[in-house]
Amino acid sequence: MEIKRIATAGTLESSDIQITIAPGNNGLQIELQSDVIKQFGAQIKQTIIDVLTNYGVQNAQIKAVDKGALDLVIKARAIAAVQRALEISEEPRWEVL
Amino acid sequence: MSDSATRLRRTMMFVPGNNPAMIKDAGIYGADSVMFDLEDGVSLAEKDAARYLVYEALTNIDYGDTELVVRINGADTPFYDNDIKAMVKAGVDVIRLPKVESAEMIQDLEVKVAAAEKEFDKPAGSINLMAAIESAQGVLSAAEIAKASKRMIGIALSAEDYTTDMKTHRYSDGAELFFARNMILHAARAAKIAAFDTVFTNMDDPEGFYRETKLIHQLGFDGKSLVNPRQVEMVNKVYEPTKKEILNAQNVIAAIAQAQKKGSGVISMDGQMVDRPVALRAQRVMMLAKAAHLVDEEGNYLGE
Amino acid sequence: MEVIKDLYLLNSAVKKQWESFLQQHGIDNFNNAETKYLNQTVGLFDEHDQLVGTGSIAQNVMKYVAIEVHGEIHAGVRFNKIISALIQRLDQAQISHYFVFTKIKYVSSFKHIGFHCLAQVPQGALLESGFPTIKNYLAQLSQPNSEQQQVAAIVINANPFTKGHRYLIEKAAQENDLVYVIVVQQNASLFTTPQRLYLVRLGVQDLMNVKVIDGGEYTVSFATFPAYFLTSSDAVIDYQTRLDAQLFKNWFVPALQIKRRYLGTEPTSHTTRLYNDNLQAILQPEVEVLVVPRYQLADGQIVSAFQVRHYLVTQNLEQIARLVPATTFDFIKAHWAILQQRIQKGWHGNGN
Repeated sequence: MEIKRIATAGTLESSDIQITIAPGNNGLQIELQSDVIKQFGAQIKQTIIDVLTNYGVQNAQIKAVDKGALDLVIKARAIAAVQRALEISEEPRWEVL
Repeated sequence: MSDSATRLRRTMMFVPGNNPAMIKDAGIYGADSVMFDLEDGVSLAEKDAARYLVYEALTNIDYGDTELVVRINGADTPFYDNDIKAMVKAGVDVIRLPKVESAEMIQDLEVKVAAAEKEFDKPAGSINLMAAIESAQGVLSAAEIAKASKRMIGIALSAEDYTTDMKTHRYSDGAELFFARNMILHAARAAKIAAFDTVFTNMDDPEGFYRETKLIHQLGFDGKSLVNPRQVEMVNKVYEPTKKEILNAQNVIAAIAQAQKKGSGVISMDGQMVDRPVALRAQRVMMLAKAAHLVDEEGNYLGE
Repeated sequence: MEVIKDLYLLNSAVKKQWESFLQQHGIDNFNNAETKYLNQTVGLFDEHDQLVGTGSIAQNVMKYVAIEVHGEIHAGVRFNKIISALIQRLDQAQISHYFVFTKIKYVSSFKHIGFHCLAQVPQGALLESGFPTIKNYLAQLSQPNSEQQQVAAIVINANPFTKGHRYLIEKAAQENDLVYVIVVQQNASLFTTPQRLYLVRLGVQDLMNVKVIDGGEYTVSFATFPAYFLTSSDAVIDYQTRLDAQLFKNWFVPALQIKRRYLGTEPTSHTTRLYNDNLQAILQPEVEVLVVPRYQLADGQIVSAFQVRHYLVTQNLEQIARLVPATTFDFIKAHWAILQQRIQKGWHGNGN
């Protein structure tokens, strides 16, 4: 799936994560900012990659600013961001949830 | 799903559906029910994001015995169908429909919920419904709304929109809500479902909050909708049974046990027959007493 | 819970409240030229409905961000709420790339929420976030090849392209292996950005070692230089020209291996002189700065885009013909009606 527009979901508030997805041409490149990057950086990135992969996105630039989000929050924000980026927010892919 | 008739519903705490911090902690305040809000508490641009956040919370967070309710967006919005599908797929306990004005609106919702249960392999009939009454028309139709579906577990007054519809606003004495409260309460009781009172938003007026909670407790409401976790304890305080009520309830329960032991079909206490409403009330008092930690597991009174 | 609300500055009561809040937090420049271009403003209100934070958007730039730091709530919480609200509104407006100018002491707060610093000078810093980033921008420019050792850059607005621009570029092309001509993005100009780019490309197409590139949002433009087109104090000009020079040095110079920058003198423009002074101070010694005296016609007439626009306003085609190359002149003739219309519609002869 091709990224149709640059989209953001989530906030910079405590326990949240802000994820922005933009078109890319070199796989899934994630720039992550987090206070817990040492302990959880790899896990946060993997959660985002899993969601994008489920939506068939192979190339994208991703920027994530983590404020201590639980894994389920990361997943929810990634879903919202990728659906917006693919412009399918009104026809969600239920099998991916 | 626990038995709707015997479940305590003193407090239904509203949690904005797009706020991860509040969603994460929603279970720790001891509210009987938590209502995740996808409607007024979420801006238009964030409807999709809130839906998936609540979905992930419902499927990943253990909220214990708390009853989980989601207020979806109304049938007149583009979010209605997707909200229903997502919440059924998540297996929420109750879907709350806002701005209900007729039995048909609940029936329409029921059809969609049933279809979603089928689509996502959920047991048929597993998702319950409740209605929020927010207009004059809704109040006048409360009785038919309450009985609109076997899935209905409750009916709630939402006073902000209602008072606007009535061309007034909220006053501290609540006189403007007397008719609506009584209509909703009667509709709920006649349909044997729960009645929820509206929210009280002024956190700087605890006195007013207590006054209002005592009033709706006196009227017979099951409980109240809340916007702030600090209000949970305040409502529970008002709903605490008295020592006299607890002792009386214990006597009723003991009389029932004794009659069963004797094999007697007729239960009497102090020369009066103990009928079903009396027995149910005793059970409810004991549930309230246990929830308020006024009795221990065996039912021994711990108060004072 | 503290809530974000939209502040409508058209409502004078709201505007008054907003200004007074900002004044309490050390911001008192409500120059109408700045405030009237704010597209959206948000306020953060506490449980007692008191304003405790605000922020605004002007196009893709965040402005007038202020937070009340007293009370129980940590300032960072409010700051992040305000910036989140602004980013959400930018996203809804399909603006995915945005900037902020800020005092040095707030740079780390912005970096902490994903912003990258583009340039920092003693008076303040310019940061960006979102996509595409400056790295994306620079990556799509073609790099010098291994034989092109001596690389020079010229930054021009070219509103429109004149014989003076041509002279400067030609001179640089003779003295260097490769010349980047970076055209400033500024749609408030009489000639639009695509028109200016087109005219520059057309005007230098015979010079094989010249590459014309769109400066994007990273050269003297609305974002990097908001007061450039306003009549503003020297302090503001000094701050902004320093930022611009520093940004050029931090990003363009290494990405394009630039060794020299050519500047034209502008005897009549105070702003340009300040800009040139700051460029020399900041770029040297790493980048050699060559100041080339302004091109004059045989009769001593100075050639500048400002003169061309002046003659457009006074509808003097004869004079225009003397100042611009044939390519630009043909374009002006062909678009005469549209240009006159733009002038009629309120585009003024001053500015750039």
